[in-house]
Amino acid sequence: MKDIIKLGSILMLITTIAATALAAVYSVTKPRIELKKVEALNAAKSVALPGVNLKAIDEVKNDEKLLYYTGYSDTSKSNLVGYAFLAYGKGYSSTIESIVGVDSSGHILGIQVLSQTETPGLGTKIEEIKYGDSLTWVQNKFIGKFCQNLAVDKDGGEIQSITGATISSRAVTNSVVAGYEELVQYLKAAN
Amino acid sequence: MSAIKEFTKGIYKENPVFKQALGLCPVLAVSNSVENGLGMGLAATFVLVCSNIIISLIRKGVPPKIRIPVYIVVIATFVTMIDLSMAGFFPALHKSLGIFVPLIVVNCIILGRAEAYAGKNKVGLSFLDGLGMGIGFTFALMLLGVIRELLGNGSLFGVPMLGAHFEPVLIMILPPGAFLTIGFVLGFFNWLENRRQRN
Repeated sequence: MKDIIKLGSILMLITTIAATALAAVYSVTKPRIELKKVEALNAAKSVALPGVNLKAIDEVKNDEKLLYYTGYSDTSKSNLVGYAFLAYGKGYSSTIESIVGVDSSGHILGIQVLSQTETPGLGTKIEEIKYGDSLTWVQNKFIGKFCQNLAVDKDGGEIQSITGATISSRAVTNSVVAGYEELVQYLKAAN
Repeated sequence: MSAIKEFTKGIYKENPVFKQALGLCPVLAVSNSVENGLGMGLAATFVLVCSNIIISLIRKGVPPKIRIPVYIVVIATFVTMIDLSMAGFFPALHKSLGIFVPLIVVNCIILGRAEAYAGKNKVGLSFLDGLGMGIGFTFALMLLGVIRELLGNGSLFGVPMLGAHFEPVLIMILPPGAFLTIGFVLGFFNWLENRRQRN
């Protein structure tokens, strides 16, 4: 019995010290991590709506759920540039989350993949920038396109999918179409 | 063994990957590019050195019956610290390594050195042992990373090296390529050792 108390106390002492040290590191890194998340989201908004001042982007929410962003040409918010929405597609091994910016006629202004864990070297190519280029695969393929009736070539559409990553390519393509359809519904409901 | 030997043994003679066959899971998974291999190697080395130091410092006060849970708590604490620090200061690398940073906790090399060395030796030597093993691990990761990224993607650190006409051997950056590469490299080092012993 005494043995168990002694062993347990030593373990408790060590875990207490460890937890305290961890709490200290956590408190230092937490603000930085939060900041990085905000920075990443702001960077994403700027990619989706290029040239738009961050202060000229409004969030449109339903309770706590973000529906879409509205972007204006300046902070007076009188001149509409377009909208940005989040798109989710079921990829090969993960949910591919992207942010898509469109103008009022539904043509893509900017697009960025926010998160994915697809197969390294294949599905991950959707985020790859070829050496010498400055745009990723999704940006090269989607910017300028009209959001309705988009499909990968294997489904009869115009988006040339990545060799060996048809499922990932299809997931992004279909998520853009679905996300746009949702945006149209939200806009209709608001008017 | 002299202090210097405690350090250098981890790099070749007792290389944790090629001689002790430890930590193979992260090596296979993260050696698909040189950058990933280097980042993982440095993170694991940091944990290994810190945990070796702490475990060596407390070795006399830890009852043998609970030494494994104690080692794991120490290791997990340092891994969490580096996970948080990476997320806060190197988010791109953190995203690239993903789940393999928390998995450093179960990297056999770290628990292996804690049990085989740090638990029984002085702080200075444990530090050198950890550093040597960590560098050996990083070396293994980078060697495999160079082979796999060059053949599988035609690049090093993301920079194309083999020209536009090179057709990448895709399998090299996928798991089967990892097994193939590590098999050949292990075989090569074994052959080297056999030759050395015959002379």
